[in-house]
Amino acid sequence: MATSTYLSNPVVTINAVDMSDQCTSAVFTRMIESLESTAFGQTNRSYVGGLENSTLTVTMYNSFAATETYATLKALVGTQVTVKVKPTSAATSATNPESTLTASYMESLPIVNGQLGALDTIDITFTGGAYSVAIA
Amino acid sequence: MAYVIASPRLGTVGDTYEPADGVNIEALIEGGFIKSTSKSTKSDKPSKDTNEE
Repeated sequence: MATSTYLSNPVVTINAVDMSDQCTSAVFTRMIESLESTAFGQTNRSYVGGLENSTLTVTMYNSFAATETYATLKALVGTQVTVKVKPTSAATSATNPESTLTASYMESLPIVNGQLGALDTIDITFTGGAYSVAIA
Repeated sequence: MAYVIASPRLGTVGDTYEPADGVNIEALIEGGFIKSTSKSTKSDKPSKDTNEE
């Protein structure tokens, strides 16, 4: 049975900074836009691959302390950022591949997401960029 | 330009930092993760005013 269980040790780096201890969720999605190629005579729609538009969305605790979440992200809004995700903190390998988006765009940064009686958490999405995966 | 790591989030504090391609150096400096070591060259400038008056 094939399963992947994420307990406590995925690794998330944003602009080379290890933010794993502030992250509670990381969703890395490879996406290649579909281009419709259906033509006369066909009885079903057909598609071909277009441009890649992969994304990484991370949920992080917000912190304004030195070298924490805000300090890491504040200068990255509206810029291209290199982000990496690895399933565990073990060495990069075929069973622990490190996925990277190079020059991925960070469009927005929630400054405060405050609720009474709850920790401040923010969702950050990195869009586009060149996808690569390292296995060694 | 040489940099020194100032936060364990980036590596061992005090080690020289060699940025990989695509790393936003300005953001790392602004966030306090690295420090430029180029300040030492500024202090090497001779101060003209000393002992002139």
